[in-house]
Amino acid sequence: MSLVLEQLVAGRRGFRLPTLDLAVAPSEVVALIGPNGAGKTTLLKTVAGLLSPLHGRTVGPGPAAYLPPPGAVSAGFSALHVAALGRAGRRRWSSALAPDDLDAARAALTRLEVADLADRPFERLSSGQQQLVLIARLFVQDAAVCLLDEPLALLDPAHSLQVETAIRALADEGRAVIASTHHLPFAARADRVLSLGPDRIESASPAAALAPDRLRALFGVETTACPCCGHAVA
Amino acid sequence: MARLRGVPAWVPTAALTLAALAAATAVLCSGPLSVAPADLAAALFGRGSPEAELALALRGPRLLAALTCGAALAGAGAGFQILFRNPLASPDLLGVSSGAGFGAAVALLLGAGVFMTQTAAFIGGLAAGALAVGCAALTRSGDGRLALILCGVVAGALASAGLGLVVTVAEPYSQLPAITYWLLGSFTRATLSEAALALVPAALGTVSLLWLGFRLDVLSLGDEQAHSLGLPARPLRIIALCAAALMTSAAVAVAGVVGWIGLLAPHAARLVVGEQAGRLIPAAMAMGALFALVIDRLASAFGPAELPVGLLSAAVGAPTFLLLFVFSARRA
Repeated sequence: MSLVLEQLVAGRRGFRLPTLDLAVAPSEVVALIGPNGAGKTTLLKTVAGLLSPLHGRTVGPGPAAYLPPPGAVSAGFSALHVAALGRAGRRRWSSALAPDDLDAARAALTRLEVADLADRPFERLSSGQQQLVLIARLFVQDAAVCLLDEPLALLDPAHSLQVETAIRALADEGRAVIASTHHLPFAARADRVLSLGPDRIESASPAAALAPDRLRALFGVETTACPCCGHAVA
Repeated sequence: MARLRGVPAWVPTAALTLAALAAATAVLCSGPLSVAPADLAAALFGRGSPEAELALALRGPRLLAALTCGAALAGAGAGFQILFRNPLASPDLLGVSSGAGFGAAVALLLGAGVFMTQTAAFIGGLAAGALAVGCAALTRSGDGRLALILCGVVAGALASAGLGLVVTVAEPYSQLPAITYWLLGSFTRATLSEAALALVPAALGTVSLLWLGFRLDVLSLGDEQAHSLGLPARPLRIIALCAAALMTSAAVAVAGVVGWIGLLAPHAARLVVGEQAGRLIPAAMAMGALFALVIDRLASAFGPAELPVGLLSAAVGAPTFLLLFVFSARRA
């Protein structure tokens, strides 16, 4: 089942995004690009149900998981516990997570090659490591819709690549993924690009959305290379 | 947060609990009237020597009060610190202590007895907590924690103002010393029935906090993360706050305003067992019980005129807190 946004208008008081009709199929990665302040976070939080829409609605295959940008989550307990908390919603009455949850967390950390961080306090990890642990938590949580807010911000090229691979793995298991980003090469490798400007939202293929004239219209500057890393865009 | 490596998490908590129990036995057995521990155990089941029964009757209630209050304040403090992800959060955060002080002062002003004073303190504490939580619920801010802290400050300030008013109008030679002494805190007033009465709300709060367990960890990540992980942040936080307020009110009603335990014990426990709520809360409670016991023993160690426990806990607690802080900061 696809994630469907029907006539969705996200926004807050005094701030209204353009109307959006969109269907994101399972296994699809949609990159959300747009200038700062265009409302990418507001849109993601609205789809996640953290903000109520001004108009329209979201029909999804299940509850959505929202991940804030790297560095926004802070916790003193271990990375393993952070990942295991992905199962928090399933434990209705018990006061502790089940051993099964810890096993799932360990497996997810292993899968993302960060098993060695399991016992380290989460707040002592680097932004890149924290982001990988939080994506491991998305695997543990197993939400059908994953909404990632600038998942590549603050990350070095190696971690960036690892996170991107992990995001693709999330989608490959049948999840619908929307990730906002300023890292245009990531957008170029997505299945679809959603360009969010001040007065319109457009959904297009990466090649079309990242064409020089479209980027000029969106960001108001000439960009042939990614402004965040200098890599060629397409 | 260097923890003991390779040791299961329950071991330090069990060790602390045993230490508190051992200290309790020592307190019951020693003093001007000394009895053997075995005799004491027999007295507990009504078959001991007259000396042992007397020791139990004289020291038992006070000991029970100290253990209950220490554990309750520490547990509530740990809960608040996790919930607000702030190491300075203490059971006073919602204005509960000030509210309880105000309630007790009003009761003393009206000439109430010990039992009524404690009931008034309990109700005053809960009322201040309810005021803070209620006001915070009215604000619809994104993450409710800031609103709670601000509303807690307001509730505490209102209660303090009321307390100031009571102190001003109190009869300076009869009522004022009683009010001042109550505010400084003591375990000496407790009778068995009062200590047992405090035990009930304290236990209720403890069970709730322990049930919340990993949910407190989720709440500490913030409302958005809690929601995203499929937990209802608001109701869970209200349960946690009510539990902590209940524990604090119960403790303050019996002992008066005893500060520092709720701040110090969770910090000390965190050094040993880490920050996970399911481990921290039991360890902090055992630590708090032990600390309260030691403070109470110190209070009666300086001659026949006992020092107020609230004074001692600050005098001992503040420097210990500083030491702990320096220690943990250097280890980090």
